[in-house]
Amino acid sequence: MNGSQRSFFSRGRLLIGGSIAAALILVGVYLAAGGSSYTPEKTQDPCQQRPWRDPEGLQEIAEQFSLSAMDGAACELGVTRETLAQALATPEGRERFRERFGIDDAKLATAIRAGLLRAVTDAEDAGALSPLLGGPLRTTVEEVPLDQAIELVQDASSAFGTFQDFLGPAGDLLEELLP
Amino acid sequence: MSAEARRPRVTALALAVGLVLADSSIVVLALPEIYRELDTSVAGATWVLIAFNLVMALAAVPAALLARRIGPGRAAAVGLAVFAGASLACGLSETLSTLIVARCVQALGGAAAVTASLELLPATVGSERRATAIWASAGATGAALGPALGGLLTELVSWQSIFLIQVPVALAAAVPILAVAKHEAATQIINTELRRTGRPHLWANLALAMVSAAIAAALFLLVLLLIEGWRLTPIGAAVVVSVMPLAAIVGSRLTGLVPAAKPRAVAGAILVSGGLAGLALLPSAEVALTVPPQILVGIGLSLVLSALTETALGGRAPQAIHGGWTISARHAGVVIGLLALTPVFTADIAQQRDDAIDAGTAVILDSRVPPLLKIDLAERIADRLGDEEGRVPTIGPAFKPLPEDPSDRAAVEVLRDELQDQLNRGATHAFSPSFGLAALLGLLALIPIALARRVEL
Repeated sequence: MNGSQRSFFSRGRLLIGGSIAAALILVGVYLAAGGSSYTPEKTQDPCQQRPWRDPEGLQEIAEQFSLSAMDGAACELGVTRETLAQALATPEGRERFRERFGIDDAKLATAIRAGLLRAVTDAEDAGALSPLLGGPLRTTVEEVPLDQAIELVQDASSAFGTFQDFLGPAGDLLEELLP
Repeated sequence: MSAEARRPRVTALALAVGLVLADSSIVVLALPEIYRELDTSVAGATWVLIAFNLVMALAAVPAALLARRIGPGRAAAVGLAVFAGASLACGLSETLSTLIVARCVQALGGAAAVTASLELLPATVGSERRATAIWASAGATGAALGPALGGLLTELVSWQSIFLIQVPVALAAAVPILAVAKHEAATQIINTELRRTGRPHLWANLALAMVSAAIAAALFLLVLLLIEGWRLTPIGAAVVVSVMPLAAIVGSRLTGLVPAAKPRAVAGAILVSGGLAGLALLPSAEVALTVPPQILVGIGLSLVLSALTETALGGRAPQAIHGGWTISARHAGVVIGLLALTPVFTADIAQQRDDAIDAGTAVILDSRVPPLLKIDLAERIADRLGDEEGRVPTIGPAFKPLPEDPSDRAAVEVLRDELQDQLNRGATHAFSPSFGLAALLGLLALIPIALARRVEL
């Protein structure tokens, strides 16, 4: 091997070594910067208790209540809270949900009632609802029709409205009893 | 023939090669526009790309044989005329099927022009080695510049203009070649002495196919990520993907410093794989983060493609036939890359979109925005998602006008940024497995590269 060939040979090795180093540095830096975990946040298991934030008024309590109900219903159905929220958002969403998961209205109603019952318990545990109200609220939840139940978990405002509507006189009492 | 007299012909031949090989990638940036305008899917529009490369892969070697039989001048001139006519048909196409058929015809003409050019160049420049260098360099330049030019034309004019502008260019390239064709016809001097053709260089061509698959995937996926995932305009995406050809020009300088083909091929394959792995591991949805991986891919592709083409052609005759094999291998690689990775990518983007929407729903449900405002925003966001017809949306407009109350405004801005972040995460991550597979393909090319030896025939 003459000097010129040796030079080419060493340049070749240098080129390969430099390429390996460049590739490893790039991959290392991107991994260190979080490249392997740059994915959408995983949704939480709805069967696990979600802590209630400090609600500052009836509207916020109603919102926490509906979120808790959604968790309970989703847990009962074996889907995520987010999937259920999208399903309940519109009639088309409900139809798609029914087709995708094979869940009919009877199953949905059972799950939503279970969710509402869990929400009552969660509200009591969080100190947002007086235990005095728990009993009548549970009884009302067990009787509420499906559409009204859906409306209840669908959004906070209707939840608030519906909450007072179906509680009737208990709604006024509720306002007084809430912390 | 004097050097002065040769120049127009050399320019015309290089232009023909560059133009045809640019076509294998020139429509990449126009694909989103094409699939929306022709009302098809991503997978359907990919066939505009696949059809051209598939026909090039199948027709390159027969076209080289034909060029030797009827005369390279005539083959190149006819090839360019067919290419020009088919380009016009592409530009006037109103349906996906007519566009794909026209693309197939375009590739047939292109294959004849490219392989015949390799037969004509040695006689024109007076050296087979120089002819190979001009041919390979014109092809690499065309392929590298194609996407950026396509993006510019799509944005400034229309996707149809990409094809229409090629008509006069192909005809202009054909004019100086016509003189050769006329000379062939008048003198009947045609190389009918078809020498026994040596076998193609299996390992070099196999490595070319694998590396080309990885590079095609890199380009195609990067363009889709920029336009469909991060919502850049075609012109913006064209500017971003210009990094790759610019890096390739820098990489071509290294070729002179390291004449040995094998180290260049090894280094090139490693750089291409490293760059693709970088694209698979993007740590956030920022355009600047695509630059370092593109630099690696660009330098790598110039090193590996030139080294493998030299190895495949080295000491083999006739050059046009073996040039045909390299064209065939490269375009077959592009087809394999697109066919293998498109289903992976389309399945991933559907899954990631669902995951991003779930994550976005969680962000809305858990946000600190007042409940009534939250409901109003949720409705506007749902409308926005509907308007975007399955694309990854830019969520900002759904939040306008922002509330006047400072605390509500701050909460809404946090929600908007978190939501867009989830969508960006989903869009970016959807491409990761495909980029990762392409990187693996580039690494696997090291096996045939290691087995490749330059055999003198």
